[in-house]
Amino acid sequence: MVGIPAGFPAADPELAGLVPPEPEPPRFPPEARLTPRQWVRANLFATRAGSVLTVVFGLLVAYVAYRLLWFVLVSSNWEIIRRNLRLFMVGRYPVDELWRLWTALYLLVGLAGFFSAATAANVEQLARAAGRDVERPGPVDGLRRYWPVLAALVVLLSQTRTWTPTLLTLAGGVILLATRWLGRRAPGLARFAWLAALVGVVAAALVMDGPGDAEWSKWGGLHLTIFVTVAGISLSFPLGVLVALGRRSSLPALRAMTVAYIELIRGVPLVALLFFGHYVIPLFFPNTVEPPPALARAMIVVVLFEAAYIAEVVRGGLQSIPRGQYEAAQALGLRPWNVTRLIVLPQALRAVIPAMVGQFISLYKDTTLLAIIGFTELLEVAENSVSQPSFLGQRLHTVTFAFAALIYWAGSYTMSRESRRLERRLGIGERT
Amino acid sequence: MSTPAGERTRGSLAAVFFDVRVLRVLGQVVAILALVTLALYLQDNYQANTRDRSGQSGWGFLDEPTGFNIAYADFRSTQPVRDAIWVGVRNTAASAAVGIALATAIGVTVGVLRLSHSWVARKAATLYVEVLRNVPVLLVILFTGAWLQTLPRSTEAYELGGLIEISNRELVFFGTTLNIPYVALTAALALYHGSHIAEIVRGSIQAVPLGQTEAATALGLSDLQRLRFVLLPQAFRIGLPPTINQFLSLTKNTSLGIAVAYSDVSSLGFRLIGARSPALQTIIVLMIVYLVFSLTISLVFNLLNRRLQLVER
Amino acid sequence: MIRRTQLRTLAFLTVFASLLVTAACSDDDDSSNGGGDDSGSEESSSGGGGVLDEVVDRDTLNCGVNNSVPGFGFQTEEGTYEGFDIDYCKAVAAAVLGDAEKVEYLALTPEQRLPALESGEIDMLSRNTTWVSSRDGAGGGAFVTTTFYDGQAMMVPTASGVTSIDGLADATVCLTAGTTTEQNLADRMADIPHTPQTFEENPQVQEAFLAGQCDAWTSDQSQLAGIRSSWPADQGGPEALTILDEIFSKEPLGPAVRDGDSEWYDIVNWVVLATIEAEELGVTSENIDEMLESEDPEVRRFLGQPVEGEDGEAVVEHGFGVGPEFTVDVIRAVGNYGEIYDRNVGPGSPLGLDRTGTANALWTDGGLHYSPPFR
Repeated sequence: MVGIPAGFPAADPELAGLVPPEPEPPRFPPEARLTPRQWVRANLFATRAGSVLTVVFGLLVAYVAYRLLWFVLVSSNWEIIRRNLRLFMVGRYPVDELWRLWTALYLLVGLAGFFSAATAANVEQLARAAGRDVERPGPVDGLRRYWPVLAALVVLLSQTRTWTPTLLTLAGGVILLATRWLGRRAPGLARFAWLAALVGVVAAALVMDGPGDAEWSKWGGLHLTIFVTVAGISLSFPLGVLVALGRRSSLPALRAMTVAYIELIRGVPLVALLFFGHYVIPLFFPNTVEPPPALARAMIVVVLFEAAYIAEVVRGGLQSIPRGQYEAAQALGLRPWNVTRLIVLPQALRAVIPAMVGQFISLYKDTTLLAIIGFTELLEVAENSVSQPSFLGQRLHTVTFAFAALIYWAGSYTMSRESRRLERRLGIGERT
Repeated sequence: MSTPAGERTRGSLAAVFFDVRVLRVLGQVVAILALVTLALYLQDNYQANTRDRSGQSGWGFLDEPTGFNIAYADFRSTQPVRDAIWVGVRNTAASAAVGIALATAIGVTVGVLRLSHSWVARKAATLYVEVLRNVPVLLVILFTGAWLQTLPRSTEAYELGGLIEISNRELVFFGTTLNIPYVALTAALALYHGSHIAEIVRGSIQAVPLGQTEAATALGLSDLQRLRFVLLPQAFRIGLPPTINQFLSLTKNTSLGIAVAYSDVSSLGFRLIGARSPALQTIIVLMIVYLVFSLTISLVFNLLNRRLQLVER
Repeated sequence: MIRRTQLRTLAFLTVFASLLVTAACSDDDDSSNGGGDDSGSEESSSGGGGVLDEVVDRDTLNCGVNNSVPGFGFQTEEGTYEGFDIDYCKAVAAAVLGDAEKVEYLALTPEQRLPALESGEIDMLSRNTTWVSSRDGAGGGAFVTTTFYDGQAMMVPTASGVTSIDGLADATVCLTAGTTTEQNLADRMADIPHTPQTFEENPQVQEAFLAGQCDAWTSDQSQLAGIRSSWPADQGGPEALTILDEIFSKEPLGPAVRDGDSEWYDIVNWVVLATIEAEELGVTSENIDEMLESEDPEVRRFLGQPVEGEDGEAVVEHGFGVGPEFTVDVIRAVGNYGEIYDRNVGPGSPLGLDRTGTANALWTDGGLHYSPPFR
């Protein structure tokens, strides 16, 4: 009969009708091991349409790859990148203050290494205690995970004119490995990870804010991009959550205000808002007060902008919480604010992590718009370095834009892969 | 918590104050007051700062002559500012409409290719999507602009029998002339948003229950027929809301036309501010324009969405 | 428990509300006072008076400049600023703070420059900005003496053979947005069909011009000269470009300060005039030490040296917040007008603009540079 496994004790007639048979684990057809020839037939020439596509795209890709390789290795003049590398990375940050940036970088790398390893060790410990075995990822997995960033780093370092940046980067790598080694031995400290992140970021910002041209409002290049992204997300996230909660509030005034805010901001392009911030905000300050520097105004706009989008994302998450959760919480006697804080928000935020990371990536890419209001942003450097007297007229746009594209792509692609990985691990979208 | 409806166990003024319902109203009133106070304070500062300028507050600037010309438009510099803004609106609409159409075409094609039988085609489509999705849109626009700059000069334009003419100033196809800034912006937006739509299409096709694909195959439908009659219609319903978001995003991204010298409504607004139109009012006009665009697109496509919704019993 | 929470909330709300109301009331008072004041007053409650005090307190001069126009405002690869307009920033810093290097340069786009001045982000604007009535009045800026009499011109590739603006029918003319350039072009070519292409910044126009997307480039003659001077050799060098003779607008360039602070206006204005007067009197940065010993009473008064008068020795008191020897600081730092001109844009510089016979000569040579006396 279907469903009865071979070894089932069908011998006992009394039991036969009472106990439902142990369901057999589903058996899938064995994985096809194809020989190269079979693989080609199956994947490249399976159907007529497929074959046509293979030929067409095969030729196309081959041509593009050839042109690309020729461009990278032979024809183009990478000198423009080499000469302007510092401009690309840190804008007009004074050379003798660069030690600040390296220090801040080492601080953050050290903290990240230590606490990531500590958290992993902590999880391992808990898993072992629960009786499950955990696989420790090896260095190869790390490579596979972060190859875009590493590739971009290699390209960057290949354009330096001295060995100093490479050595300093290697020192950073050593710090990372050392702190990871330490962290693995201190799983107990994992609970301080968030605190450490906060303290670390603030400390790094304070260190990097130097005198004169090293002042925070004058930062440029990739440094500025990363700063705006990190600061933007950290400031807009709490605001966005508050606005989302306000949107769902039962107080009509609060709801009206938050809806108006969200719809207004979302209906308008970021460029227009950045112009607004740049030209109009100073006019809102009384004459006696010096208006905030241009970067501060841009940050205000960015935070308000991102908060509106985050509010929508969080709202989606809040809507997905079944009413039963609220009711159960109230039955337990929790007050409204605690219901939100302890029950609703954790679930809602967990559910929207992929969308949040998507917003983060969006912000990272939107920092390019700062170039339009005149900041020495990475893309702006790419555009204007082409007009330097030594490089004028050589059509080097392709080189500089490709370089900028590589940097943005590496960051963005890695973040979206991490988000998908996180999605899989947290089991989002799977039915509970 | 609060007293049962209607009953007051404490018969004093304090009871009124401590009632949650009263507090809620009070709280909202305070919040509104705070907002109004802030608005008045800001407006006061604004007036003080722009006090010396005649016509700087108010909407009179819309009637003043623009003072500059707009490329590729039937526009004279003596026409009022509001005509200039209208040219901008038309330009934005032109770029957005064609951009949306192209992006959808590209997106559907690439999305379907990602699920094709040919490994090469699949990988090529994946490469396209993963590269363009992870690069800033401004970069794509600048890149396209720079690439189009490398087309031959108008004096050495590539011509094909008088019907096709290609130069770095304009493209002529069978009588239609497209200026390069327009082409640069629209093509870039189509490529960028096309990659996002491709991802949405792929996701929605994969979200169609597997049983549908199996049933279609069992019925003997060819791949193309299966796609056309079973998968795409159902995927369409699933994928429409995020696609509408992409359309809205594309419309807003036309504001980057300033990077390739295209006169969309945002670049015209910024040029007007440079020519001393009042910044606050000009940007408010821009915001209104974009809100109208967003609302229109939302309305039209959401109507479509609603008609496609599954009617559940 | 419940009562205490509600009490706390109520107390908090009441306190908050009363604070708001108080703040709103006092703000109304402040702003009505501010509104009632004369806009020309030097009192600090309106018009941003006291820029001199702010600059001295800060010990730095915030100067709005250009960073991409050779000869006027240019930032080298190492990051240092140099140019005609830059020198005037240094001159004011020397006069007010005693040190020409105490300047914080802020590179601005054309759209940003006047708002930055209005909002107080910069103390003075020295960025090849044209003095026009609307900028003086509605624009919120106050222009001091013109430092450079410029005009809008057109530049074409020499190979095009175009010799006059009227020969540019159906041409694509490129320019940067946000300046008077757009309006001047529209006026001059009102009856000549053309396609104006506006870009954000000069580098973009350069690329477009090189690619052949532009038939002509219009901008101030000084800017065009600078661009032409640094045209790369493999593109034909400066000879590949021709600046047409016709100047079709008046573009008097000069520094600007914010409206409403007459003391600060006087300082900047008289620094400029000092450089002109110095050239007229023959005082240079080389001979200043000898000039300090000069017997000529005009020179002595100019340099703030005591002069014999009926009541004994007297020293000029200018009365706008800087000492009598500010002229010495200025000349020592940047030299006189002739030196500034020659160093940055003169025949010996890459721009090669000859000022003989033009409006930029001294009034004694038929030009327009004339300084009122220093006494």
